[in-house]
Amino acid sequence: MKLTDREENGVMILEPAGKIMGGPDASLLHDKLYEFIDQDKKKFVVDLSQVDWMNSTGLGILISAYTTLRNNDGKLKLANVTEKIKSLLVITKLDPVFESYDSIAEAIESFNE
Amino acid sequence: MHEPIIKGNMISIPSSLEYLTNIDDFIEGILRGFEVEDSLIADIAISVSELVNNSVNHGNHSDSDKTVSVSISKKGTDIEIMIEDQGQGFNPQEISNPLDEENLLKDTGRGIFIVNALMDKVDVKTTSSGTKTTITKSIA
Repeated sequence: MKLTDREENGVMILEPAGKIMGGPDASLLHDKLYEFIDQDKKKFVVDLSQVDWMNSTGLGILISAYTTLRNNDGKLKLANVTEKIKSLLVITKLDPVFESYDSIAEAIESFNE
Repeated sequence: MHEPIIKGNMISIPSSLEYLTNIDDFIEGILRGFEVEDSLIADIAISVSELVNNSVNHGNHSDSDKTVSVSISKKGTDIEIMIEDQGQGFNPQEISNPLDEENLLKDTGRGIFIVNALMDKVDVKTTSSGTKTTITKSIA
């Protein structure tokens, strides 16, 4: 898995690519999310367009960051959720938990609503 | 053992998650040889990754002297994969339901649930020498 990040209009955008399956690769995403959370960043978008698939480790990382942010007046949203990941969110009943958008731009814009 | 070993349709790794990608590459390569479609490859690869994660962390407790083995075969239109560790095993009945309200936002506890949802058959056998989990998926 590879990971890039950037900030746009005060929103942290994380773009993982590849497979999120556990081990050192998955730690990258977890550590980067918490690095920014520790810097008191509140608004996050995780773009999943380049993620082939993830397993429960990936879901756990997203949920952990989501709940940490929610408890600190922050928010984590998803963009470009692929069909494979969407089906995993449905199976685990996490689909209503995450706000998800069809593009990064829409996800960023939603923070202004 | 300190490196993955591949023999035919079987791979063994030391009990460390750093070798998950070795197993994933191995499984994907074999499934492509069987001409399995991409979506099913992903379902099988996700399930194998869940079970290998469990074997490394909960079965072998990341003991690098212990191994996790994965073997794959095609039986008619079924893909059958065996994941073996050297741990004490688990009782699938004792795993709490991740869909229960009190568990829904937990960051762990979904692995076996996902495997059961994605695979056609999941069989867990625990012996004195370890745990063997067999998953089956039809590619018909």
